[in-house]
Amino acid sequence: MKNFMEKLKKSDLTEKISLLIALVALAIVFSIFNKNYLTGQNLINILVACSLTGFVAIAETNLIIANQIDLSAGSLAAFASVLGAVLVKAGFNPFLALFLTILAGGLIGAINATTINFLKLQPFIATLATMSIVRGFAYIICNGKAVAISNSIYISFGTYRLFGKIPLPVIILILAFIIFGFILKKTYLGRSIYALGGNPYGARLAGLSPKMIIFKLYIISGVLAALAGALLGARMNSGQPSACVGLEFDAATAAVLGGTAFTGGVGTIFGAFLGMLILQGFNTGLVMLNVQVFWQNVAQGALLIVALAFDFYRKNARNKKILKESMSNH
Amino acid sequence: MGCSVEFKHIGKNFPGVKALDDISFRAESGKVYAFLGENGAGKSTLLKILNGDYQPDNGEYIINDELVHFNTPQDAINNGVSVIYQERQIVMEMTVAENIYLGSWLRTKHGTIDAKSMNKRTIEIIQRFGLEGVQPDAKVSTLSIAHQQLVEIMKAVNRDSKIIAFDEPTASLSDNEIKILFKIIRELQAENKIIFYVSHRMNEIEQIAQKVIVFKDGHLIDVVNKQDVSDDDLIQMMVGRKIERIFDAADRKPVLDEIVLEVNNLTTAYVRDVSFKVYRGEILGFAGLVGAGRTEIMRAIFGIDHIKSGEIYLEGKRIHPKSPMDAIELGIALVPEDRKEQGILPNISVKGNISITVLKNHLNKLGVIDERFENKIADSDIQKFRIKTPDSDKLISQLSGGNQQKVILARWLEINPKVLILDEPTKGIDVGAKSEFYRIICECANNGISVIVISSELPEIIGLSDRIMVVRDGSISGKVSKEEVTEEKILSYAMVKQVSK
Repeated sequence: MKNFMEKLKKSDLTEKISLLIALVALAIVFSIFNKNYLTGQNLINILVACSLTGFVAIAETNLIIANQIDLSAGSLAAFASVLGAVLVKAGFNPFLALFLTILAGGLIGAINATTINFLKLQPFIATLATMSIVRGFAYIICNGKAVAISNSIYISFGTYRLFGKIPLPVIILILAFIIFGFILKKTYLGRSIYALGGNPYGARLAGLSPKMIIFKLYIISGVLAALAGALLGARMNSGQPSACVGLEFDAATAAVLGGTAFTGGVGTIFGAFLGMLILQGFNTGLVMLNVQVFWQNVAQGALLIVALAFDFYRKNARNKKILKESMSNH
Repeated sequence: MGCSVEFKHIGKNFPGVKALDDISFRAESGKVYAFLGENGAGKSTLLKILNGDYQPDNGEYIINDELVHFNTPQDAINNGVSVIYQERQIVMEMTVAENIYLGSWLRTKHGTIDAKSMNKRTIEIIQRFGLEGVQPDAKVSTLSIAHQQLVEIMKAVNRDSKIIAFDEPTASLSDNEIKILFKIIRELQAENKIIFYVSHRMNEIEQIAQKVIVFKDGHLIDVVNKQDVSDDDLIQMMVGRKIERIFDAADRKPVLDEIVLEVNNLTTAYVRDVSFKVYRGEILGFAGLVGAGRTEIMRAIFGIDHIKSGEIYLEGKRIHPKSPMDAIELGIALVPEDRKEQGILPNISVKGNISITVLKNHLNKLGVIDERFENKIADSDIQKFRIKTPDSDKLISQLSGGNQQKVILARWLEINPKVLILDEPTKGIDVGAKSEFYRIICECANNGISVIVISSELPEIIGLSDRIMVVRDGSISGKVSKEEVTEEKILSYAMVKQVSK
């Protein structure tokens, strides 16, 4: 029993207990005001809405832990939604179209990594530039007009429901969370990401290759953003060049809400999952309460401040604890 | 008008170390006092007390016969004390004049910055010191490093400080600039300021100082008139302790017959023409002053710094390490000098910090870490090196410095290195824990590892090493064998006694 308690203590779950409480409280409050809030259908709706932010939140969590950021994710998702639509319209096999779209995402990620690694640009600046460039190409490849999608197989990527209930994007998203949660926790790449975020120079001296890690991170980010965008396009029956503005910030908000320290080195995918649910649960709740849409922006900003205040508080508490224990071990 | 500074029984402790113990002396205006001592003797701690960066744990700090207590460097500045550090505390993107008035810029009556008056006053200072070529409105980033240092000095002059301390001011200056600096110091002296001057260069102390204050291990050894003592006397005073054998090295009888690492004429941006050999099972010491280039030699061997020319041979084969990753694969390990900045991965567990160097070889096809292996090596290392930690899942940052260092050492021994480079391995470690490190280091050598130890602590390097290389200004300035080694001998190679005027 004691052993079990210790394991529980070490697991993410207790660390995230405050987030779980916040999530439950949020659900209760909104369901008091609107009894439809806690229905199965609404929960699925929330998850579907998450399927856009969620993929990018996984990527941004990895990046922020490694002291990186990808601002181009939103533009890239919009670009991918258009590219997929353009390709199927041009008669490509829908599976091939999806594959090529994701490939393009990986390629743009590789370009981000290259400018960061070899031109030594700050990640913020490097991806700020691609954010603008990729958004431009999203408009260029469709001449500025949304592209309708009529291929039913491609549309089903976004709308097929497993057991007639759970939409495919939700299933893919949950799979992605599980896979990347595993990668971050259990694999060499995951360990390298933490090492890079905790002490980049120390990691290099210990024989890691920061450049290679950065390369993988941005390719993953590009792939996930493109996947999110392609699924969005499929779900909406159209590729929208103007979509997903600010997506990367929503994703970063989810990551930080979920306990990822913006200073790097600390965070989990499970935390990002909870952060994403809180963020989207909050937004959906406000919509259901018919709160004017402008107030939603205010609310989301306020939520971010609360999240960052939380981050600050958590970091202080952590540092104090570390200092105390190191003194007592002395 | 004269002034005075007096320290009475000043003491300052850090965890496990007495940095300063019972320091008492009185300094009068119009004189230059040189601080002399080995690295870690307490000079910089005293400077930090002087300028309010540290507060003494006991004793009295008296200026003009009045007890003072400075909480911040700003307090000290306001009371006429300026310390000019080697690391320049200037804002690169501001002008010379703005830097000289940093934080207390002159204002016009409209509240805007009065650049005109500041520039005018700056020109006066520039002319007074004969610093032709420096414009008051030039951005500091466009100046040479030497001139940047002079800006720092002008700052102190402009504040009209009564007490000015220089911390190794000539480290980045050319001979000509040193002349200018000395001219400034003599002028300040003539204005009845109190000058403190920290330098490792004997000939500078000879030229500029009237009094020499000798420190050793946090104690003040003596205050002497420069004219009464010779260089050799001073060196003797600096080191004049018995060389205590911290461990019994007598049972180490290495047979030096197999060269493992050979470095020929190695030249990088920081070091030039460095050649040496290390034998199997040998402990080779690298002595020298901080900044002499010892670390930089190792950085080149470990694949960090670009090698301009020269060769490195490992077991007879020429090697070209391009990154630490390459060096590790070749069997070279480096325990870096700065544990916090370069060693530990603070956000990762003890076991993760140990396994990081070998993890790559213990993954399944999907890149998943073999946790059984990781736990096994961590638990065995924790036992072997007696690392004090509740369990291997604790974050490394929660351990004490000595235990962190053991984790780093364990990490490197896991790769079974042929060459183990230790850069200041016992820096900041309690005296008690040090002997444990010495035992481990000797054991490594006895097991056939070629060990290179860089250390600024002379007893340590003398006690440990089979042979010692002394580094000065980026080159090897002397080689000392175990039989002939004395602290004086090492210091005479390490310090610049004769430089061009």
